[in-house]
Amino acid sequence: MKVARAVAIGLLGAVAIVALAPEWWAANRYDTQFRAIPDTPPAARFPLGTDAVGRDRLSRLIYGTRVSLLLAPAAALLSCVAAGILGGLAGLAGGFIDRTIVAAADLFLSLPWLFLLLIVRACLPLNVSPAASVAITFLMLGVLGWAAPARVVRAAVRKLKSSEFVFMARARGCRPWRLLWCQLRPNVAPILLAQFWVAVPIYILTETTLGMLGLGVAEPLPSWGGLLRELEGDSFLARPYLLAPAILLALVIGSFQLLLSNEDFSI
Amino acid sequence: MKGIFRQLFRMVGLVLAAGLASAVLVRYSPGALVDQRELNQRLSEESLADMRAQKARNSNVGVNFLAYLRNLTHGDLGYSESNNAPIASLIADRAPATLRELGVGLGGGWLIGLGLAIPAGCFRRAWMYDAASSAAAGLLLSLPAALIAYLCLMAGTASGTVLVIVLAPRIFRFARNLLVQAYGAHHVEIARARGIREWRILSAHVLPETAPQMLALLASSVSMAIGAAIPVEAICDAPGLGRLAWQAATARDLPLLVNLTMLVTVATIAAVMLSEMAASREASALL
Repeated sequence: MKVARAVAIGLLGAVAIVALAPEWWAANRYDTQFRAIPDTPPAARFPLGTDAVGRDRLSRLIYGTRVSLLLAPAAALLSCVAAGILGGLAGLAGGFIDRTIVAAADLFLSLPWLFLLLIVRACLPLNVSPAASVAITFLMLGVLGWAAPARVVRAAVRKLKSSEFVFMARARGCRPWRLLWCQLRPNVAPILLAQFWVAVPIYILTETTLGMLGLGVAEPLPSWGGLLRELEGDSFLARPYLLAPAILLALVIGSFQLLLSNEDFSI
Repeated sequence: MKGIFRQLFRMVGLVLAAGLASAVLVRYSPGALVDQRELNQRLSEESLADMRAQKARNSNVGVNFLAYLRNLTHGDLGYSESNNAPIASLIADRAPATLRELGVGLGGGWLIGLGLAIPAGCFRRAWMYDAASSAAAGLLLSLPAALIAYLCLMAGTASGTVLVIVLAPRIFRFARNLLVQAYGAHHVEIARARGIREWRILSAHVLPETAPQMLALLASSVSMAIGAAIPVEAICDAPGLGRLAWQAATARDLPLLVNLTMLVTVATIAAVMLSEMAASREASALL
């Protein structure tokens, strides 16, 4: 198991390094079109061939990795910050504020995650620039993903509030803000960090699903979901290299699963 | 009885809140007060003015939502512009296909997921079986439902079967962890030492003890199935509610989405409510 975990860390590290600077690794830009050679099979110049408009598939996969792999943590960070604030507030304040935040979290959790995303995505403009579609997709993930971690944070804060060390700090006259910053924050931070790592693979998978449904990152910017759309109407048995984004996705999510065993990635 | 009323009250509150929230989203979404028909140059100034006045009348969220609820009591859910049909008839047409799919998906998913989890929990020395089944579940969990749907479509699999493949690993993983924990309990070890048969240990000790968590898993599997039905139906071209929701999202048919939101909220909250009630009954029976 230790070896498998080390391999998983190595793989995630390698993919992250490639994703951080795709310009170094990709032979071409993601939108460069070689119109004389569209839809070619793999060759030395284009290891994964070219797509219908003559773009290098491998280069697009490398750039797509940047979009999928770097923006998912950004969205997870956003949802964890929101969860920390709202969950912490609910746990600390109690009463009406607690009930309101819990009811809002219940409302968010009562709808299937993908359905919730679909509704919100439909309410936002669909015909937008690629950069705006990236921002919309990941802001949406970040903003809508607060409910589950917020419940965990709330439960932790409520438990901490009645713990002995908080009681002692209060008895010694510790002020609420100091109590929050010096006593509660260090204890809640590991919980939020765990929620962050759980959210990252979920967001990667969600972006892929949205991309495959045509509601994710807009062309010509590549993402794993957008690249997998190429599978539509085409048999992968005749062109198995089209499955390269799926294999990379399975390896990355599988690595996260190894590192975060016992967690579920429901999409 | 009091508990049932409280749960029903909570359910109605959440459904109304979901409806109102989606109505607010629809009202304040970009372009909500613009009608595409305004681009039609053959329309006279009077017709355009009428259309704008109608849109302006519809801009009050509260009034609109109350009118919607009033119409709902008469079975009128509004009109879908993208499908050019009443929403009630669209839902009635598509619901049977989705219900069939969900039935097959949940039934098959539970049968396979729980069926594979029981030996993994029961036979602790069968580590190879446990590793192989966990690895297979892990692989399927690493792929989005849309991709699994596409791969199954190529293999000529029906959409209900795709849901089985999507749900089974999720159910397996939760159920396996619960069963491993339950089989490790002291009283189970004593029962084994006394020579009680495995099926008896399973039915009398392990399953009743894990029942509350299993019921919670059942409720969340309903939510998972509804969520997975959207990409599965969209990719497999199945004429169900999931595909209708996807089409409504791509066509920005927001009234249809509001209705589907309320329907999905009712289904998921009802599943959670029933499982909570069954779990509390099971827990009180154990005590």
